[in-house]
Amino acid sequence: MSTQITWKHLALWALFLGGMALLPMLVGKGTLRTIIFANYLAIFAMSWDVLSGRTGYISFGHPFLIGIGAYTTAILSYRFDVPVGISIPVAVIVTMAAGTLFFLPALRIKGTYFALVTLAFMELMYQLVQVIRPDLTGGTRGISGVQTLTRGAVNGYYLSLALMGVIAISLWAMMKTRLGTALSAIGMNEEAVEGSGLNTTKLKLFAFMVGAGVAGIGGAFYVHYLGSIAPRALFDINFLFTIIVAALIGGASTIIGPMAGAFFLTFLLEYLRPFLPGAERYFIYGSIALILYMYEPKGLYEILRKARERLTGANA
Amino acid sequence: MTVILELEHVVKRFGGLVATNDMSFEVAKGESVGLIGPNGAGKTTIFSLIMGEHKADSGSIRLHGEELTKLATHKRIRRGVARTYQVPRPFADMDVLANIEVGLMPDSIMAMIFTAPADEEARAIARSVGLNDADLHRDPAELSMGDLRKLELARTLATKPEVMLLDEVFAGLTAGEIEQISGLLNEKRQEGMTYVIVSHDLRSLEPLIDRAIAMTQGTFVCQGDYATVMSDEAVRMAYLGH
Ligand SMILES: Nc1ncnc2c1ncn2[C@@H]1O[C@H](COP(=O)(O)OP(=O)(O)OP(=O)(O)O)[C@@H](O)[C@H]1O
Ligand SMILES: [Mg+2]
Repeated sequence: MSTQITWKHLALWALFLGGMALLPMLVGKGTLRTIIFANYLAIFAMSWDVLSGRTGYISFGHPFLIGIGAYTTAILSYRFDVPVGISIPVAVIVTMAAGTLFFLPALRIKGTYFALVTLAFMELMYQLVQVIRPDLTGGTRGISGVQTLTRGAVNGYYLSLALMGVIAISLWAMMKTRLGTALSAIGMNEEAVEGSGLNTTKLKLFAFMVGAGVAGIGGAFYVHYLGSIAPRALFDINFLFTIIVAALIGGASTIIGPMAGAFFLTFLLEYLRPFLPGAERYFIYGSIALILYMYEPKGLYEILRKARERLTGANA
Repeated sequence: MTVILELEHVVKRFGGLVATNDMSFEVAKGESVGLIGPNGAGKTTIFSLIMGEHKADSGSIRLHGEELTKLATHKRIRRGVARTYQVPRPFADMDVLANIEVGLMPDSIMAMIFTAPADEEARAIARSVGLNDADLHRDPAELSMGDLRKLELARTLATKPEVMLLDEVFAGLTAGEIEQISGLLNEKRQEGMTYVIVSHDLRSLEPLIDRAIAMTQGTFVCQGDYATVMSDEAVRMAYLGH
């Protein structure tokens, strides 16, 4: 466990992000837009993983948090002309507050019940958006014409890459510390963590707030990339499962895992599109995810790690 | 004699079942007490009540005279009491060293982020319970029952308790392992550790304790030195059936 951060780690991060930075020269605008979505999905999957992957409190309501971030900044900037430099930080703070709300059920319930309660949060939000002040939320139609932060695919790509890079490295560094160990320990045996003299309530609350904060950042920037918000697409069970499956098949409790899973899924969905334009795609990708998951429950990350071990083992 | 741990009229019900029925006893500092009773007598429940994993319905539990019943488990640990579990359940996906390190962590998020793991201290504790250096980077799944019990002890010792509640420390161990763990417990005792020990293995328990408390069906039966308790009529009835 307690491996320290070394130059080798940092070099690998630099290599990865540097390689990603070259992509706009290698691929077309269409592919680039797909990768932008993958970058945001990676952010959502990482945020889900902080909240659920580590502590084992499986949240089915993640779009609720993303939606709060997205709606807050969209409403503030579009309806009230608040500059994005203010509306985005406000959106993140509001999402973190909502993360605390999310946390309340976790004080009492676990497992399936927790998942169901969080699913209810998402559903509730979907209904409320349409009923409460549709003049602000745009009701079922949502809001379009939200200010965009970048022009063109290339700039949009670099912004999403920068966001993903900063979030990934920050979370990665944080999870390398004793805090990461303690959060993972909660997922394995919460009583024993409490029995080690650690306040598990405080730890879970912190994980929920960080997870919500990242979801808020992702949601807010994503809406300013798309320029619009549509409740049907946001509070959608397919969107929810794409996030969870990305984290799980990539490898929960890691940082690279959810990122790898997000890219894998995005491209899988994209390549299936010409053959299966409708919702059947989700069936195929669900099946592939399931098989992968049954083959290696720790996900792509573990498959790659084992492959590397085999390779380096063969060399030695 | 200074009393370190006291239970007074503690009651715990699980539905209609009275698992702890008006239990009262005291443990002195540096003392080692055996808590004995047949299966289902309520021994483990008493440990859970002391640690706050179950809430007592009534009664008082005090450590150094301070009332524990209102405190969360992690706070009770910080006051100096810790337990081991009858069935060891370590952090499965962490190696032995990381398991021990969880017990050494400060309870502050900032400190967790900004201080380095206490590798050296964890190693020293691992050695002190007789774990080999080669085991430190193993996963718990690879350990023998004896080593799992040692890990359980190490994780508990890491929280620096003054009072240790040991639940079935000898279950599933070989004669050699029992001897090793007994030696270890005796060593800590010389350093002033206070114990409450639950064990079905009375022969191994006897040399470790100053005094025994017998209970059955949640109820106190008698207490005294080991020989006295074992010759008590009621104890023989409840425990041995004759
Ligand atoms: N969480 C619980 N819910 C309901 N009943 C419980 C619970 N925990 C223990 N009991 C019951 O309380 C009684 C005492 O159990 P406890 O585990 O404390 O006994 P014990 O003396 O430790 O037994 P053993 O020697 O088998 O470990 C038993 O009848 C048990 O079934
Ligand atoms: Mg028991």
